[in-house]
Amino acid sequence: MTIGRLNRRGFLALTGGLAATAGLAACGGSGSDDGLKLIGVADQKKALDELTKAYGKVSFNTSYAPTDQVQSSVRTQLGAGNAPDIHVVYPGNGSAMSMVQISDANLLADLSDQAWTKKIPDGFKAAYQNKGKTYIFAAGSSVIGAIYNKKVFTEVGVQPPTTWPEFLAVCEKIKQAGKVPIALGAQTQWVTQLITYALVPSTVYAKDPDFDKQMAAGKASFADSGWVDALEMYLDLQKRGYFNDNPNGTTFEQQTSMVGTGKAAMAIQVSAVLPDFRKAADGADDLSMFVVPGADKADDVWIPAGIVVGLGISARSKKLADAKKFIEFLGEQKNINAWSEAVACVPFVRDSSSKIDPVLEPFLPFMENNKAVPFMDQAWPNAEVQPAHFAVVQELLGGKTTIPDALAKLDQTYRKS
Amino acid sequence: MRGRTRRFLLPPWWFAAPALLVYAVVVLYPSGAGVVYAFTDWTGIGDWSFTGFDNFGKLWSDDAARGSLINTLLLTVAIVLVQNGIGLLLALGVHARIKSRALLRVVFFAPAVVSPVMVAFLWKYVYNPAPDEGLNGLLGAVGLGGWRQDWLGNPDLALWSVAFMVVWQFAGYSMVIFLAGLESVPDNLVEAAMIDGAGRWQRFRHVTWPLLAPAVTVNIMLSTIGGLKLFDQVYAATNGGPGYASETLSTVLYKQAFVFGNYGYSTAIALVLALFVAAVSLVQVHFLRGREVTLA
Repeated sequence: MTIGRLNRRGFLALTGGLAATAGLAACGGSGSDDGLKLIGVADQKKALDELTKAYGKVSFNTSYAPTDQVQSSVRTQLGAGNAPDIHVVYPGNGSAMSMVQISDANLLADLSDQAWTKKIPDGFKAAYQNKGKTYIFAAGSSVIGAIYNKKVFTEVGVQPPTTWPEFLAVCEKIKQAGKVPIALGAQTQWVTQLITYALVPSTVYAKDPDFDKQMAAGKASFADSGWVDALEMYLDLQKRGYFNDNPNGTTFEQQTSMVGTGKAAMAIQVSAVLPDFRKAADGADDLSMFVVPGADKADDVWIPAGIVVGLGISARSKKLADAKKFIEFLGEQKNINAWSEAVACVPFVRDSSSKIDPVLEPFLPFMENNKAVPFMDQAWPNAEVQPAHFAVVQELLGGKTTIPDALAKLDQTYRKS
Repeated sequence: MRGRTRRFLLPPWWFAAPALLVYAVVVLYPSGAGVVYAFTDWTGIGDWSFTGFDNFGKLWSDDAARGSLINTLLLTVAIVLVQNGIGLLLALGVHARIKSRALLRVVFFAPAVVSPVMVAFLWKYVYNPAPDEGLNGLLGAVGLGGWRQDWLGNPDLALWSVAFMVVWQFAGYSMVIFLAGLESVPDNLVEAAMIDGAGRWQRFRHVTWPLLAPAVTVNIMLSTIGGLKLFDQVYAATNGGPGYASETLSTVLYKQAFVFGNYGYSTAIALVLALFVAAVSLVQVHFLRGREVTLA
């Protein structure tokens, strides 16, 4: 009996003690100063490791995760009111963690009074600003083009093409030489969109630069636009046998390895993943990029250039002033340059000290001559259109739908909100 | 007198209060709040308003949700039948007096303790579409090159490839439950049947099988619930693709909430799924319990 009572008392003391400790730990967590809390996506780690260290004025508590994990965890934290001080934000609209969607819910701090915001080029304002206010810092833009293996091109004896017929001819020669012309890892869903994105600037925006506005006004549709041509060109590449077998069962990692090892000649990809391709290749210099020419005449070719994923400040941050100072620091030219170099993108504002990855040089004239358009999803009104695009491309590659049905589905999804 | 003693021995109800409180805060409150959100247009952030039964109406007319319901039912039926069929055969096999049966039991059960996400990644290697890799490589090596497939990339196959992966992982789990059932079949009954001249099949059909009924009930119910809720394996192996070919109710509700930001609608799907699972389980238990026999 005594032992029983002692045990019970001991048990109560133990659980009480544990509860008290847990409670104190919880209080300690919210009250103690463990620096600015920053959650980014994995792509940002290299740049931010460097820049948070260089800043030195405050300590940081940083963590990074892949896009889908960050999307769900940060958004949940935003909803619960305990978002990190600084967190990943996607430019423009079109995803659940995009600048427009979060700033519309009044959860992002206004950065408009910072000096760097005055230098945002007009063409990029939609990516950074909502209703005239700037809510996201991003270092610059990445492009979509063909990442190609120079050794394979030399071996086959072909040069980067400048028109669509030339592009097809290059692919044909590579195929004849027994190599896969274009590696496509369409099982990784975001990879499915890149060929459409590479072509649509030429088939849609070169002819009608205001296409996004007309879509928003309900005066245009995917099904009745150059999107039809882009998807026909996409499927034509498949029909001609220019992709690897079974693209729907092939992953991004397999795609990078095919190009890196020279089994395939190229992959149509976003420049932000150049580091992954370089890792898969024998030497970084084996790879370069060229513009995917989506038109019959070189003059009619336009390119996709989208602002890269950036950072925003939680409007409810208790360390708003500190967080803003850090973003102001990131907006200094040398830091914009450093970030851009780390992710292989073109800084949104440049000076003589800006170093641009040489493989991106073919893209610069297009950006300077206003022949570049943001990635299409950044102007889409809800987060469902982009995944619907992934799905219909997989269905098209798998022969499960037709182009008119696929685009009707996209139109229907676009009009949902 | 007896009643009074029993009442005296019962602890006062408030002894359960701390546990009930924790249960209420951790389980009941969030579930209740979830039910409320199913009737709103909550996006996870910002304001929301009540929209009545709109979300449920949308569920009815949403092609993706309907397609995923069909996929979920197909997957569940396939998993329940094949997983339990193989589980039963394995159990009968390792129940016999064979060499190294303990080792075999461990080997067959091992996949069940691995995280489903790990299993999915493992099978992504097995299902590599390249002709000289994984399963395709094996088929080629044994002269069945014509059977090579794009296992996860072919919209007609992806769902069944996922189902096979799940069966591979959990057949051993069903086996363990059947084994427990087999252990409880008294040897003397089997021997008596043998003396009466019953053959191997007759002994199984008329003695073992009826007495296995409780294990069958448990296995069918667990695999049905597992199938209806299937998420990890699908998400990691195909993410619902190609297109919508392997989308299940769970992946749709995850995407609606965390990718599209439609928390209200997602909660409505979750509520319907929960009620559906509960209803199916109740019906199953009712029918399966009815055929259970006891040793009188």
